[in-house]
Amino acid sequence: MNNVHTDRLVEDYLLRLDAAASVLPTVRRAELISEIRDHLQEGLREIEPGDEAAVRNLLERLGSPEEIVSAAVDATPSAQVIAPSTVANGYAIASVLLGVLWILGIGSVFALIFGYRARREIKNSRGNQTGLGLATAGIVLGWIGIAIVLLVSLGAVALVANSGGSGGTRVPIHTPQRNP
Amino acid sequence: MEPGVTRNALTQLRRGTLEYCVLALLRRGRQYGFELIRTLSESDGLLVSEGTIYPLLSRLRRDDLVTTSWQESEAGPPRRYYQLTSAGERALADFSDEWARFRDAVDELLTHGEGDEQRAY
Repeated sequence: MNNVHTDRLVEDYLLRLDAAASVLPTVRRAELISEIRDHLQEGLREIEPGDEAAVRNLLERLGSPEEIVSAAVDATPSAQVIAPSTVANGYAIASVLLGVLWILGIGSVFALIFGYRARREIKNSRGNQTGLGLATAGIVLGWIGIAIVLLVSLGAVALVANSGGSGGTRVPIHTPQRNP
Repeated sequence: MEPGVTRNALTQLRRGTLEYCVLALLRRGRQYGFELIRTLSESDGLLVSEGTIYPLLSRLRRDDLVTTSWQESEAGPPRRYYQLTSAGERALADFSDEWARFRDAVDELLTHGEGDEQRAY
């Protein structure tokens, strides 16, 4: 029974280490965990099975998993390698969505504002943010949306001008509706 | 209990010098991680968390100051042995010189300061 209990202590420690090490690049993470595991195996060989105090002491001497991982982060050559889970820029996502939604051109205007803003932020993030493609898509959609608005309004103006031309100066088509 | 400021200074010193202590230990010949840590632990106040040695060893390896080789052990998993490279030896020699100067300068100031104080009174 005691054996099971001390095994649990070691397993729990390794699980905590694995969780803490998620900020490390995959290869470094695997390497660190296997090294600590080997270390524990070496240490356990000198301990009487079920000697809980000795197992606790072995783990305590190693230091907390968080401490070890933070040393590993410090030892990682460049900050970029760690890449704490690169995230897509929020403005880039908003830009594409608004570009698609269009909302009579209002969406397009915001798609452009957010799209350019996203591009700037992503470039300044030095690789910590992704979504450059999304932002560009948002910008393209934004311009297309605005082009559609312009074309439609031009078309409308042309239509009005056209109908105005053919129908003389008899302006409103609505007039008949006024007197029901 | 060490006062907070002293502890912080010691942490910084340890952080800066530990890798050279590891290199110095390897001058005696190749060692595996557990063995190395055991030896380091015997030096008082040098090692706080044994686990932090592994990231340090991994960096020394990436910097080509040590090389590693795997070897079967009589019992248990194979062991990864660490060995000093010529670059590691050079780094260690450079550090030893600098350290001697640094240590002497600090000692000089620490003890000299004491002397001045006594002279003043």
